[in-house]
Amino acid sequence: MDVLENYKKAWVNQPEEQSKHSTKEIYKLAHSKSSSIVKWIFIIGILEFLFWGALSFVVPDSFYKVYEELNLTGFLKIFTVLHYIIITIFLYLFYNNHQRVSLTDSTRKLMKNILRIRKTVKYYVFYNLATVFLVSIVLNVVLFSDSEKLMQTMNPNNLAIDMSQIITITIVSQVIALIIILVLLWLFYKLVYGILLRKLNKNYKELARLDALN
Amino acid sequence: MQKDLEIKFLSDFETNQNIAHKICRVYTTNRDAHNDLFQEITIQLWKNYPKFRGDAKFSTWMYRVALNTAISLYRKSTRTVKTQDISDFAYKIKATDYDDTEEKQLGALYKAIHRLNDIDKALIFLYLEDKPYKEISETLGITSVNARVKMNRAKEKLKNILNP
Repeated sequence: MDVLENYKKAWVNQPEEQSKHSTKEIYKLAHSKSSSIVKWIFIIGILEFLFWGALSFVVPDSFYKVYEELNLTGFLKIFTVLHYIIITIFLYLFYNNHQRVSLTDSTRKLMKNILRIRKTVKYYVFYNLATVFLVSIVLNVVLFSDSEKLMQTMNPNNLAIDMSQIITITIVSQVIALIIILVLLWLFYKLVYGILLRKLNKNYKELARLDALN
Repeated sequence: MQKDLEIKFLSDFETNQNIAHKICRVYTTNRDAHNDLFQEITIQLWKNYPKFRGDAKFSTWMYRVALNTAISLYRKSTRTVKTQDISDFAYKIKATDYDDTEEKQLGALYKAIHRLNDIDKALIFLYLEDKPYKEISETLGITSVNARVKMNRAKEKLKNILNP
């Protein structure tokens, strides 16, 4: 006889749960808040949206002077609008994913939906990092295309430094700043979404592996 | 209408709640985590209840939703398996004895199940609950032939843990 059959007998005869819930308690539980990962991804997305939105109100006007001097105000406005449209689309996708996850589906279908969520989050993170990267590229191109303005922006006190030094300093400092910002953002996303996705990811891999055996 | 539905749900769930408790025992190792998962299962069952058409038994539907909740949703995972304490070890030795009491067998069984991955846990759980392959395959969304193959692997793993 299968050795597990013995254990199965023990399983079948196991005592019922001692602390059973009454219908009243079940009612309370059923109406409490869910802590599902998908929901949290959606909520954090909204918080992030609000955070960056609020930040633009807090930033002093002087910050935008640089853009003004470089004639980039128009670009900045168009870019901001575009950015928010895209973020809204992402939020919609998060929400849609959240709604689509139905636990009555078979486990496999559920996992497929989870995979979709993972992809959306990944694209979202990439989009944010790419935006930072692109904006800094645009800024640099504009900056370097006009040496007078470069001089003005980077050396407002008219120190006695020659042009090539300015360019070197600018490039080096920009690259370092860009790397630091990208790494910090990447770490932030890794931390926030990484923790949420890790669990989902592990289970998905498990199921995908099972599926591959077929 | 909503009220009737709710009363029906509450009484159905109350009578079948042991299924959810067993799933919590399989997927968690302490009381707090057990209660957390039980709460999440309750929420998900109630949320999905309007979609339950009643063409299957409530308990069958409940197995699916509760297991999927356990597999896919956040729960406080207690990753303390690595440090195996002495009582755990004693369980394991004794459990190999056939004359042992069912209580100890059950303890050993749970300890062993806790070391399986989440999908294998589901497979073994459905096996122990004596579910037919048809139901197992529907719950997991795989063919019943596939379910058999997977089940055999999961059982092999479990046996290896029980009797290394």
